[in-house]
Amino acid sequence: MSKRIPVTYPEITAPLRERTREALADAELGGNLRAAQASWAKGRRQMAEQHDFAAMRERATGIRRDNIARLPELLERLEERVRAAGGTVTRVADSDAACRYITDLAAARGATLVAKSKSMATEEIKLNEALEEAGLRVVETDLGEWILQLMQEHPSHIIAPAVHLNKEQIRSVLAAESGEAVPEGREALVAHARRRLREVFAAADIGVSGVNLAVAETGTLCVVENEGNARLVTALPRIHVAVMGMERVVADWSEAAHLLQLLPMAAIGDDAATYVNLITGPRAPDEADGPVELHLLLLDGGRAALRGTDLQDALNCIRCGACLYSCPMWRSVGGQAYGSPYSGPIGAVVTPLLEGMRGERSSELPFLSSLCGACHEACPVGIPLHDLLVRVRNRVTTPGHRRDRLRFRLWALAWSRPWAYRATRALARGGLRLAGRRGWARRLPGPGAAWTSQRDLPTRWPPRSPSS
Amino acid sequence: MAAALAEQLIAAIERRRGSGERCDAAGAAARVVERIRSWGASRALLADHPLMDALGLPVALASAGIEPVRWPGPRDPRAGGAWRGLLGLESPETACGITVPAFGVAERGTLVLEAGAGHGRAIDVASAYHLALLPAERLVRTLEEALVATFAAGRRPPSAVSLVSGPSRTSDIEKISTLGAHGALALHVLVIGEELSPAT
Amino acid sequence: MRTCLADIAAPSIIDATRRVLEGCGVEVVVPRSQTCCGQPGWSAGHPDEARRVARRALRAFRGDDPVVVPSGSCAAMVTHGYLDLFTGRPEEAEARQMAGRTLELSQFLHQNGLRPESAARGSVTLHDSCHMLRLLGERESSRAVLAEAAPGVELREMAQTDVCCGFGGTFSVNYPEVSGRLGEEKARNAAATGADELVACDLSCLLHITGRARRTGIPLRARHLAELLAEDAA
Repeated sequence: MSKRIPVTYPEITAPLRERTREALADAELGGNLRAAQASWAKGRRQMAEQHDFAAMRERATGIRRDNIARLPELLERLEERVRAAGGTVTRVADSDAACRYITDLAAARGATLVAKSKSMATEEIKLNEALEEAGLRVVETDLGEWILQLMQEHPSHIIAPAVHLNKEQIRSVLAAESGEAVPEGREALVAHARRRLREVFAAADIGVSGVNLAVAETGTLCVVENEGNARLVTALPRIHVAVMGMERVVADWSEAAHLLQLLPMAAIGDDAATYVNLITGPRAPDEADGPVELHLLLLDGGRAALRGTDLQDALNCIRCGACLYSCPMWRSVGGQAYGSPYSGPIGAVVTPLLEGMRGERSSELPFLSSLCGACHEACPVGIPLHDLLVRVRNRVTTPGHRRDRLRFRLWALAWSRPWAYRATRALARGGLRLAGRRGWARRLPGPGAAWTSQRDLPTRWPPRSPSS
Repeated sequence: MAAALAEQLIAAIERRRGSGERCDAAGAAARVVERIRSWGASRALLADHPLMDALGLPVALASAGIEPVRWPGPRDPRAGGAWRGLLGLESPETACGITVPAFGVAERGTLVLEAGAGHGRAIDVASAYHLALLPAERLVRTLEEALVATFAAGRRPPSAVSLVSGPSRTSDIEKISTLGAHGALALHVLVIGEELSPAT
Repeated sequence: MRTCLADIAAPSIIDATRRVLEGCGVEVVVPRSQTCCGQPGWSAGHPDEARRVARRALRAFRGDDPVVVPSGSCAAMVTHGYLDLFTGRPEEAEARQMAGRTLELSQFLHQNGLRPESAARGSVTLHDSCHMLRLLGERESSRAVLAEAAPGVELREMAQTDVCCGFGGTFSVNYPEVSGRLGEEKARNAAATGADELVACDLSCLLHITGRARRTGIPLRARHLAELLAEDAA
């Protein structure tokens, strides 16, 4: 591949409501999302028939709660074991530190080409941009991620990044990348990508992967995948850099086996992913493949501060993506509208937290939910996402939310007093009567305007038949 | 017992569009040759494992016109661009990787491949096809049994262990599973044991 | 407990609830000092404000009598949300005590084996409201009560009855377009059953679904389960 692919991520300019409107207007996106969700739901139903999902979920919830409670101890053990196996471990406080470590390493080793397997942590730290800025060429090798990299887009789903595109859209992207005609059909597209990316595996100096779970007992990194690219990324280049959110550690192999069993069930509705790569240190001296150097980065990025708070359960997440598929909001607008590597319910919870409740996304994302609880039901580690969403809302400090709080303060003032409640009730009833025409209001002023932008309001109950 | 576990393993792998069969040691080489021929592969990349000779594979392959190459080949695959050949970048991809799993997990159809001097961690994914030779006594029921044994205390953990549960696939295009993304396009497992002579 | 929403926009539901309960021989007391369970403030991210209103509810419903609410969402606020609001605070014991005796209307009828006699006829389809389904863990009671109390009514299940209608409190006005789209899907699924009317245990969902249905021209009649149960031969 001679063509250099610039990776620049568009800044988010439009407010979230605007982005949801655009997504809703995109019929193609809607169809793709519906198909994706249906296929996931089918797999999940099959898994529920074959396994005692409730019992597995309960055990997994206990495992993850315990892991997070013992996090400092488990991380120390992990560090010690990875070092004993010949790897290098570095704790990095934030995105800058993580990216700088990798660009410094690349410079020190004279590296020019970096092959990446899918990793949410590297999305989170915006590694691609940092590598490009340092003059390195970086190529995503997961098919979906690669397609998005070529389109300069963010992933729309934790485990199925290009789920919002159809095969004709993908075909034209691949044709543009290679400068050659690409035959039609899914198989042909996959074969084409396979050939193009094998060049990258063969030539890459550094392979960068994420980590699904790390096992403290032996210092082993678990990387789960279906395509085989993560294995090639961690087997062929001389240097393997693994970037891991510091919360993704488990104590021992009994725990790891359980979570590795549950993860694909929740994520893809299968009882096994095609490949799980279990990596303990760099290659041994007598081995012919595998990296000569292994670097593990333990990323804090706002995680440590969540321990001991009422949001600690957010750290239990194993990033399966089930809450996304289960979420009516995510299904309606897709992941890209969220404008964060982490979308859906878990994204609406962790994005603000990892960003320290700063910025637009922090004030908007937690409110993109009806708190219906489908996410909690789908979560294989039992995270009470609907409660966490409320607790994140509590922490929002933007001027808009402060104004909203003022309104609710008035509400509380009135509705904690029965007489004032009755007075406002009389006002509201009167308002309804005034607004109604033959039992329905089509347009309301003030705070009701947003309601009637999309729906009528029955001003008499039970409502008169819709045709009247 | 072993037969039941073998059937369970094969059924699970078949669900993921791989394939498998049971056979005894005497019949294994013929099965291997037949399978590799059906794929149209012209080279076999063999893990350096005593089972290969015990089954008489190198001879059987060579006489069938399939070039047997023993891992890691004449040189470190990184040297001299040997990876390029293996990855099919010099010529069309035609290699079949032949591995010997440390365990087969019956319940979910998973092969546990341990990397080592004779067993490269990329044999199966760098090849176009993957054929696994699983001695029946290595069948276990659950993933937990296999992993706890693989990483048992007092034993230095292997630098890489690969769990393989089917052919390489991607669902990144319209969420429909398509085979042969980056790893092997096809997976076939032979469960080998004396009491497992071919089902009639 | 009457719900503030019904109190304002649909007093007929409160009236129906009272008649259903009294028809079953239950003595009904509607404390005049009650206002709202506090959920609007809680779910909007204003816990201090929600607590002020919720304290009023704790006071209004002191005692040992069961608290019956014609709303899965308000009942879930008491049984679930109050624990979030009051755990570790002086009112914790009181909140837990109230949570332990609060039931949504159909739950109360079902658990106590009460069988109102409804003269309703025709066919209905049922929407499972999210808080009822997932926070109260209740899918059966409304169906059981419907089958026992209204033998003349045929239940036609809609597709995706367990999917959120998109109301979601302030969500419905923060992201009205997404909310509206989901309400429309719900209304379509309900209309597709061919049932005479849509029935649910939550007024909030019904206001949203019927409002969206009318805006988008989907013919759909709806009422609260209590109203159906209260229907007498006259």
